[in-house]
Amino acid sequence: MKTVKLLLLAFILVVSAQSYAQTADEIIAKYFENSGGIANWKSIEGMKMIAKINQGGMVIPLEIIQLKSGKQMTVINFQGKTIKQGVFDGEVLWSTNFMTQKAEKGDQETTDNMKLQKNDFPDPFLNYRMKGYQAEFLGKETIDGVETFKIKLTKNPILVDGVKEENVSYYFFDAENYVPLIVQSEIKSGPMKGQVSEAKFSDYQEVGGVYFPYSLTQGLKGQAGQTIAIDKIELNPQIDPKEFSFPEEVSNPQENK
Amino acid sequence: MKKFIFILLISGGLWPLLTFAQSNEIISANDLFGDLRARHIGPALMSGRINDLETHPSNPRILYVGTAGGGVWKSNDAGTTFNPIFDDYCQSIGAIALDPNNPDNIIYVGTGETWTRNSVSIGDGLYKSMDGGANWKKIGLSKSERIANIIVNPSNSNEIYVAVLGALWSDNEERGVFKSTDGGTTWKKILYVNQKTGCADLAMDPKNPNILYASMWEFRRTAWSFESGGESSGLYKSMDAGKTWDKIHTGFPQGKLGRLAIAIAPSSPNILYTVIEAEEDARKGLYRSDDAGENWKQLNNDFGITVRPFYFSKIVVDPRNSDVVIKAGLSGSISRDGGKTFKNLGNMHSDIHDIVFDVKDSERLYVGTDGGVYRSWNGGTTMEICENLPLSQFYHVSVDNAEPYNVYGGLQDNGSWYGPSSADGGVAAREWNSVGAGDGFRVLKHPTKNIVYSEMQGAENVWRIDVENKLVKTIQPLPAKGNPKFRFNWNTPIALSELQADRLYIGSQFLHKSEDRGDTWKIISPDLTTNDKAKQEQVNSGGLSKDNSGAENHTTIFSIAESPLDENIIWVGTDDGNVQLTTDGGKNWTNTTANIVGLPKYTWAYHIEASSHNKETAYVVFEGHSTGDFNPYVFKTSDFGKTWKSIVTNEINGFARNIQEDFVNPDLLFLGTEFGLYITLDGGKSWAKFTQNMPAVAVHYIELQKQTNDLVLATHGRGIIIIDDISPLREITPQIFTEEVRFFASKPTVMKDQSGFGVSFGTETQFVGQNPSSAAQIKYLLPKRHTFGKMTLEIKDMNDNLIATLGAGKSKGINIVNWSYSIKQPKVAKGKTFSFGGFASPRVKAGTYKAVITKGNQVFEHKFDLIYDKHANLSRQDRELQFKTTMKLYNMTQELAYLVYELDAFYEAVKEKDNKTATALNALKESLVITSGDNYVGSAEPQLREKMADLYSKLVANYDKPSSNEIDNLEMIEKRFEQAKADFSKLKKKAKIKNLTLKPYEDFINE
Repeated sequence: MKTVKLLLLAFILVVSAQSYAQTADEIIAKYFENSGGIANWKSIEGMKMIAKINQGGMVIPLEIIQLKSGKQMTVINFQGKTIKQGVFDGEVLWSTNFMTQKAEKGDQETTDNMKLQKNDFPDPFLNYRMKGYQAEFLGKETIDGVETFKIKLTKNPILVDGVKEENVSYYFFDAENYVPLIVQSEIKSGPMKGQVSEAKFSDYQEVGGVYFPYSLTQGLKGQAGQTIAIDKIELNPQIDPKEFSFPEEVSNPQENK
Repeated sequence: MKKFIFILLISGGLWPLLTFAQSNEIISANDLFGDLRARHIGPALMSGRINDLETHPSNPRILYVGTAGGGVWKSNDAGTTFNPIFDDYCQSIGAIALDPNNPDNIIYVGTGETWTRNSVSIGDGLYKSMDGGANWKKIGLSKSERIANIIVNPSNSNEIYVAVLGALWSDNEERGVFKSTDGGTTWKKILYVNQKTGCADLAMDPKNPNILYASMWEFRRTAWSFESGGESSGLYKSMDAGKTWDKIHTGFPQGKLGRLAIAIAPSSPNILYTVIEAEEDARKGLYRSDDAGENWKQLNNDFGITVRPFYFSKIVVDPRNSDVVIKAGLSGSISRDGGKTFKNLGNMHSDIHDIVFDVKDSERLYVGTDGGVYRSWNGGTTMEICENLPLSQFYHVSVDNAEPYNVYGGLQDNGSWYGPSSADGGVAAREWNSVGAGDGFRVLKHPTKNIVYSEMQGAENVWRIDVENKLVKTIQPLPAKGNPKFRFNWNTPIALSELQADRLYIGSQFLHKSEDRGDTWKIISPDLTTNDKAKQEQVNSGGLSKDNSGAENHTTIFSIAESPLDENIIWVGTDDGNVQLTTDGGKNWTNTTANIVGLPKYTWAYHIEASSHNKETAYVVFEGHSTGDFNPYVFKTSDFGKTWKSIVTNEINGFARNIQEDFVNPDLLFLGTEFGLYITLDGGKSWAKFTQNMPAVAVHYIELQKQTNDLVLATHGRGIIIIDDISPLREITPQIFTEEVRFFASKPTVMKDQSGFGVSFGTETQFVGQNPSSAAQIKYLLPKRHTFGKMTLEIKDMNDNLIATLGAGKSKGINIVNWSYSIKQPKVAKGKTFSFGGFASPRVKAGTYKAVITKGNQVFEHKFDLIYDKHANLSRQDRELQFKTTMKLYNMTQELAYLVYELDAFYEAVKEKDNKTATALNALKESLVITSGDNYVGSAEPQLREKMADLYSKLVANYDKPSSNEIDNLEMIEKRFEQAKADFSKLKKKAKIKNLTLKPYEDFINE
């Protein structure tokens, strides 16, 4: 009798889950609720992630910093030398050139597109309407062996080789617990233009009341990706703003003698 | 307690258990394939058949290609590179259209190729994307089979016209012209003639969308004949957006008509061109109307205009010049005088199907052929191939046992080839070798000798190629006194024996056997077909245009399989439905077809797989698509054909052509259908579609390579596709889903010493096939995706020392993690620049290692072996010396790093108070590491760090044991290092610094 009751219960649960029409807003709301609550999410001012990549035996240590202001950088330490990549101070995008080890600015279009993403911290879905983004629920899809909700996120258009293009990504939220598992988007520029990039998230763990993925695998859709394993996430870190500034090259007076 | 169970239930915890308890026999492979991914090796050098080209109305860099069997491809750079955008759906494409009002987002794809040759595939309806091809939805016309045109009204995006050519092999009412007025939600048939007549071409007046022209074509193909033309063919015009239609035949030839093309000159819409297939040769050809179809005048009936209308009935007019007309054909013809005279287009692959002009410049044009897309910069005078489209249409595939193994196969209109399954830098076009002409089919490697057999259509030539000496001989059987004419199929079966290396079989209506590699032949069977004379009238095939290419040869043998367990057991399948068996090497034959229940009579016995597990067992794949029957038929016998059992379930989509049995697990079977690959783990009780990087492409043939367990697929539209090492599938049982993590057994991994110089110059815009991984692979199954909490994968030695940390796979199903069998790079002393040698990671020693997965607080371990590469021919001692010397340098590099770290600390401590010691420390440092310059050509003179790291990385990269020269070099470096340590030791004393806090060595190198 107990079994019958349980089976009946299970049946009702399955049926009600199916008949319950989801909307993008419901899914996004559930995601924030399940991953720590909207208040906790909103209180995040910045993040510092200590991570590493194992690339065919070469272990690359990374420090990824992102702030609410849009400031961000990735710091790599090789042989005692610090190399910064993708540094953005809100206005200027720059990276250390591997050959000269000097800072070089990114091209203006990439910089302008970077400015558009300022609002994405800590999560593009947070207050997405106020940012001018649109979210659309496209339906259920099984991906990575998991039933997911597929949501199309349209952000502000970016410039690609001087032409305005739509900025769309597809998020797959776990239908069971509503956290994002996969995001896919079309590569818009460079020689890979037209191919679809894919990032997979897992190892969700709690920091300061919020769940973040500690494992991120990036690559092309349908291909094996490269995993970034995060060892530690620090919320609201204290970072000297100078760290983000483009170091203007100063000529050495001694050499001019 | 109740609550607890309830929670378990809703979280899905009990579901897998419940499911298995109910049906313990079925092992569904759905969602289990995970990291078991297909890799594509093309080739693209001969590309494949193109059906439709479509340009963007304003951006000349955007081009869409609709292919005969390889899906839809988009280029953003005028054909330099392409990406597939329709991989999850039917890959046979009839037409593509962009909404002219929203061309970046709204795309329509009509499936089903419209050039109705014998090997043509089928479509399954009309699709629409609202987001530039990222997502697709089928919007109807599911039974249309082939769609010839789609036109969106430029002044009303909701109004769409679709030309449905319809079913090729059967009567069907879903054909004619269809119209939607609501963006594709509902459809209305607005022009219909009868069940045999479809719309072959449709055009809309660019200035008045109410004016439409439609060419209707009566046609039918059977397995043994083709009929083009009849009383129902005709050219129609509508002036009222399709409400009413009138035939416009003034000036047309009398009698029956065949396939007509229609084209409007966009710059002057009253000028129309049509090409007419008629009864009388003199009246065939190109016609022009200058009054919007009221009157027609014949202009030209050259060969290039009238050739094979069913294959080439297509006209394209320059959008800026109504007198420039291009006609598809064997070579393609261009006229610059309004269709009066023509010359050939520039040299390219033959069989031209579609042409598009650039939207801004008529000098630039694209041409779709049987061998890919070509681009011209000078109005068609010279043509260059787009090298980025791997659309090759294989009929067959076989493999050899070389390392890496080679893949052999023949292609539609593109000869026969072999190429390696992997190559330095990837499988580029230059890796492929041509071993046959015409249409290619079976290509087989002699099991022991360097000989390759290949063939062309209808066994017109069967070649034996001595590859080494480049000697080619034809060996097809010829009739002798008393023999009737041999009937060979277009796609003639040739088979080898697994038991006799020099044996060869070929099938006509008889089975021919040779024991001397084709030099002499013996007929070992009676006519094994139905020998139905009514199906042997190919000389009259074609309809209004005779077309006796051999493509319709029928009542022939199509499949031959000698049992790998007993050479006297031979199975033969025929295209007219017979499955014949001999168990005494051909003395006696039994037709077993009558014992099969549930199979329509005369259904083509496409492939027979003689089991390698049991000699009484065989699988037969039948397919009836040439009668309009698109159901899959797969039967298994375990008693020499006395009884047969269907192993098809309704999970399989599309008619099937080929099955492959696993050599190890008899319940593991692979089935190729018109819409992809299906796999069963339970002998056919359930099937799952394999979609991991695998498009829904027609799979014509499957081979399993025995050494590597690689599944090799001959696809008819996407070249050769390989799934590396399917062995994990052998181990999947219902029980393993109850385990949290289940590791799969793996063969010892060879630590590859072989290397080369993969040159990428010249291949930047080419398709280059992917290589398999040469890493050690940790394979395991997760019954559920890991999403919450930490999960790590570490490699440890047998003494539990940590060797490497890897990114663990988290997907449900099979996970594959690659390990490069190396430890992390050494810690290198800090200098002004990088020491590039220090980025090398040394390999571990051969031996047994453990993969350790930590999932939450649970730990799972799996042992695996690494072995050395025998190609290097090194002794155990050589390997030991190599490892020891490399690790010595690795450790020295790290010690030097620590020394420099200490030195820097001492320097900082003394620099203010002891100038002399500080200067001496600095001088020492300058001899240890580079302190100036950059990482490129501005680099400074190398110091000890660089010399040490360079020798270290030289040893890491070399397969060989260290040479005496390298040992001498090491000695020199060691001495120099000892000296440095001594010097530093003295300076430390001189510095007289106490209480200097330094990190311990272990902490420093592991930080």
